[in-house]
Amino acid sequence: MTSKITVRAVSKTYNSDAGEVLALQGTDLEVKQGEFVSLVGPSGCGKSTLLYIVGGFLAANGTVLIDDKIVDGPGVDRGIVFQEYALFPWLTVRRNILYGPRLQNLPAKQCDEIANRLIDVIGLRNFENRYPRELSGGMKQRVAIARMLAGDPTILLLDEPFGALDALTRETMQDELLRIWLEMRKTVLMVTHDVNEAVYLSNRICVMSARPGRIVEEFPVNLDRNGTREAIVLSDEYNRVRNKVWLAVRQQAATQTTRA
Amino acid sequence: MVRSINEAVLRLSPIAIVLVVWQAAASFHWVDTAFLPAPAAVARALGDLLSGHEIRDNLFVTLFRALAGLFLATLSGVWFGIGMARSWVFNAIVSPVVGATYSLPKTAIVPLLILWVGIGNAMGILAVYLTCLLPIIVQTYHGVCATPAVAVWSAQSLGADRRKILWQIFLPYALPDIFTGVRIALGFSFVVAISAEMIASTTGIGRLIFMYGENGSYDYMFAAVASVVIAAFLADRALLYVSARCLRWHESHAASEIGAFG
Repeated sequence: MTSKITVRAVSKTYNSDAGEVLALQGTDLEVKQGEFVSLVGPSGCGKSTLLYIVGGFLAANGTVLIDDKIVDGPGVDRGIVFQEYALFPWLTVRRNILYGPRLQNLPAKQCDEIANRLIDVIGLRNFENRYPRELSGGMKQRVAIARMLAGDPTILLLDEPFGALDALTRETMQDELLRIWLEMRKTVLMVTHDVNEAVYLSNRICVMSARPGRIVEEFPVNLDRNGTREAIVLSDEYNRVRNKVWLAVRQQAATQTTRA
Repeated sequence: MVRSINEAVLRLSPIAIVLVVWQAAASFHWVDTAFLPAPAAVARALGDLLSGHEIRDNLFVTLFRALAGLFLATLSGVWFGIGMARSWVFNAIVSPVVGATYSLPKTAIVPLLILWVGIGNAMGILAVYLTCLLPIIVQTYHGVCATPAVAVWSAQSLGADRRKILWQIFLPYALPDIFTGVRIALGFSFVVAISAEMIASTTGIGRLIFMYGENGSYDYMFAAVASVVIAAFLADRALLYVSARCLRWHESHAASEIGAFG
């Protein structure tokens, strides 16, 4: 089976006031169709940068392929959700969700269907005509997810999607994302600093080194995701993988401290 | 209800105090009424002027010059601001000019404008236009630059091209700043329209004020000034109303600016 996402020898240099900063060096990554892959690593290791390069938002040296085609910019095949929601504040919930479908000039009837379906999926039926400033953080993130799904991308790029939410809301949102993924089987690449979240959601976890970042270790996760949260989190496999990933991230963070 | 009545009383009190002190100063001859006419005399003069054509005709001329200049400055200032924020080439060319002329009092070049376009509407509108342009450019530029990259990226990943990004992302994001720029410019527009009329004009409320001042009819001069104050206040209210309507979605709407600065 060919890869959905291929990242080959990707490097990225930023210009900052303190001179050039090497954010990524020789990064390789393959993600298969329908796979849920998480990127974890010490803060500042360039995991978000890698996600933005796959999204086509940042240019970099090296090769990025989606379905064996070279990425040279953003595309509707890759939807994205950011930690800071990035909703359009002048549009209501409904019109935020319909931003993509309207750009594609879908007929009004089809737009209505998409909006109604996704508003039900995220459970914001009574809030569809509110502006983002009237919503809580969790609601905003639901809208951001719905807006991404309305574009019907084949790949979901998630940039610390639940990082700004409180612990309880975060778990609810993780369950919703898991349900959506199990239903739609889209390819997902998620950046997170939460090891538990990565294990709970992904098929595979890639641990990145401290800056300049590259993927140094990979952990497959074989969990039956159809069980309850309690069953998954209390299972031996979950805890075994979680401990291994946690140790790996700590080691990378320690390397960073020693080097600094 | 009680609070809103109390608030209304509080808001009117400074104006009332000024009027009472002013009237007292005139009535008790603390000042020479030949130089500071009493509010009552000004009100009489205003009533007299409003019953004739003089104030109305001249006020409309001034309003036309101020608002036409402001309107043209808004149209072009927004594009200059967007251009500067989005194109480094355009920014490199335009920003030295903006920087050099930003703090220049535009009334200083009125004699030059007279030389170029003569006295009349064109000169007044041009002076107002040049003055209003800069705050609108600066505010628009700021608003466009402050647009978060994640918003632009979100739109791109949903299929927006460069044109759509400009109209549907950068412009709405800059809208609160653009309204701030227009509000600053509105204040300038009256100042410059009237100053230009005082320097050289045959019509307009500025010329009228100047003429009454020259003649020593200070009650009529104050009445003309009062009519400008009222017109400028109403114009600012109207702008605030429009901006509140357009920015219902914005964070500032919760702490409504009308309440804070009204």
